[in-house]
Amino acid sequence: MSNKMHFRVSYQICILADQNHSNNQCYSFHDSAEKPIEVDHHLYEFGSVEYHVKSSASDPQFTYLSISTPLLTQGVLLSYGLSPYTTQMVREISADFLEIVEPAKEGYQLTLRLDFSKIPRDVDSLKVITEVSSVQAVILSSQLKEMLRNVNSWDTSQGMYKPIKLVYHPREPFYVIRQSQKIIAVFPMRFKEYSDVIIATSFFQVSGGEYKLSVISNIKLNSYCCSCKKGDSAYYLFGQELMDVGSSEKWAKVPPCSWSPIPPPELRGEPFEDLSTNGGFVSFDISSRHIEGKRLDKTVWSLLNFYAYVKHHVKCTRGFIQRRMRKRLESLVEVLQNSSLEEDGRIKKVTGWRYMKKLVTLPSKSKILKRRCGDFTGKIKRIRFRIKIHGFGRFRRKWLTMPKFSSSIGYTKLE
Amino acid sequence: MANTLRLYLTCIRNTLEAAMCLQQNFPCQEVERHNKPEVELKTSPELLLNPVLICRNEAEKCLIETSINSLRISLKVKQADELENILTKKFLRFLSMRAEAFQVLRRKPVQGYDISFLITNYHCEEMQKQKLIDFIVQFMEDIDKEISELKMSVNTRGRLVATEFLKQFI
Repeated sequence: MSNKMHFRVSYQICILADQNHSNNQCYSFHDSAEKPIEVDHHLYEFGSVEYHVKSSASDPQFTYLSISTPLLTQGVLLSYGLSPYTTQMVREISADFLEIVEPAKEGYQLTLRLDFSKIPRDVDSLKVITEVSSVQAVILSSQLKEMLRNVNSWDTSQGMYKPIKLVYHPREPFYVIRQSQKIIAVFPMRFKEYSDVIIATSFFQVSGGEYKLSVISNIKLNSYCCSCKKGDSAYYLFGQELMDVGSSEKWAKVPPCSWSPIPPPELRGEPFEDLSTNGGFVSFDISSRHIEGKRLDKTVWSLLNFYAYVKHHVKCTRGFIQRRMRKRLESLVEVLQNSSLEEDGRIKKVTGWRYMKKLVTLPSKSKILKRRCGDFTGKIKRIRFRIKIHGFGRFRRKWLTMPKFSSSIGYTKLE
Repeated sequence: MANTLRLYLTCIRNTLEAAMCLQQNFPCQEVERHNKPEVELKTSPELLLNPVLICRNEAEKCLIETSINSLRISLKVKQADELENILTKKFLRFLSMRAEAFQVLRRKPVQGYDISFLITNYHCEEMQKQKLIDFIVQFMEDIDKEISELKMSVNTRGRLVATEFLKQFI
């Protein structure tokens, strides 16, 4: 769910909660408070998500929040509405504060009734409101959680299952394939620019390599060490690196991930337009140990936000490259600046590229001549004006100098 | 590896020292009162010298074209893989777009090369010849170094990001 929409929905609910609180204060302190107002707002988000917030003046205690969102999978679940697991997850947000209205409002998949009289008065009120406003994310993530929870419950006689296409973000579907003892999540990667493809591809290869490095080190540790030649420093150091990575136990718990430029065999039979990519396919093997207890939430979050994570990384990398290039430009230009000094050995500090020009340029003959003439005329003046009269210099500068008819900078623009 | 680079750069330096003998203010033979870099126009063959191509290997080469009043140096930088390819293109294009900061840099490289310099007689009048040659040789070294460092940095960042992502599952 985008942050902007999350903020708008929570803002709406906050206003209604404040209004309700002020009404309650009116009852206790007998002060005039804001009058309850009619609220009937429709909020839209890209990806065909729609919210409807409704509150009537006659019944200000209750507010109705309806949500319409495309579900992760458009298959069987849609015909039955939301699954019992999803409704259970929604109820768990706050059992006192919200209640699911059945049937949902026409055109919406879920309608919630919010009772502001039961909202906590302390800091937790904001937390509850924030969780309610992110109910769309709860609906989508609960569907994937339900699939992952049942990873071990499939009968092995069923063999391979048809891939299930899930859409968390428009135009970025991914696939979940159920197998015995594990679930494979496959992400077809697409990018608009060629440079993004290259950056992402090197990232995927590194990600797959990180896992493979730990697996190789665990399996081949002993045999590799035996084949190391004593005294051969290169082999010894490489073996030492493998030992260091393999000795950490944490990488053993990571789901195996791999990248391939072609669709994996599990996706055979899927529509061609879904399998045509320029960034290859990233696969994660999720087993039961990745969904135990609190890991289920983290795994679901990681899978649903994988696309956003990769795109953010690509964008940050491009920004990093741009910053490096700017910094390097300054140092490359500085090479020319530091390569030469002025004729008399002094260095003037002037900013910009003109600085470079001034430092590396040789003084031309005309400039040398002018400078010598200036020195000569200065000497003449000193000789001629040896007799010093106080104040005469100022008088001379003000009254005895010839006026300049042309600008020293350049020509004067005629209008 | 370093030896071949040294030999390559030394060869380029010696060639530039011989090639950078540009005549001051040679007027254009085609158009009156115009003064154009003949190496770009190539209208009068008698004003052009034989171009010199110095190759370190198939991927790295340097083309030095000389004329009576101008000199053009075109460089092809080594690109081992796709990542180095895009980094080189981005970086050299970035520099070319800011050619005024370098004065002797050409805004568009010669076809078949990654970056080009154009040195005219005016540059030789304003700048010291030896310093110019030092700058170009140093530029070549710095570009190679920078591309390698960029590639390493990108891979290191990718590794760190991948590590952080995989930690979510632990």
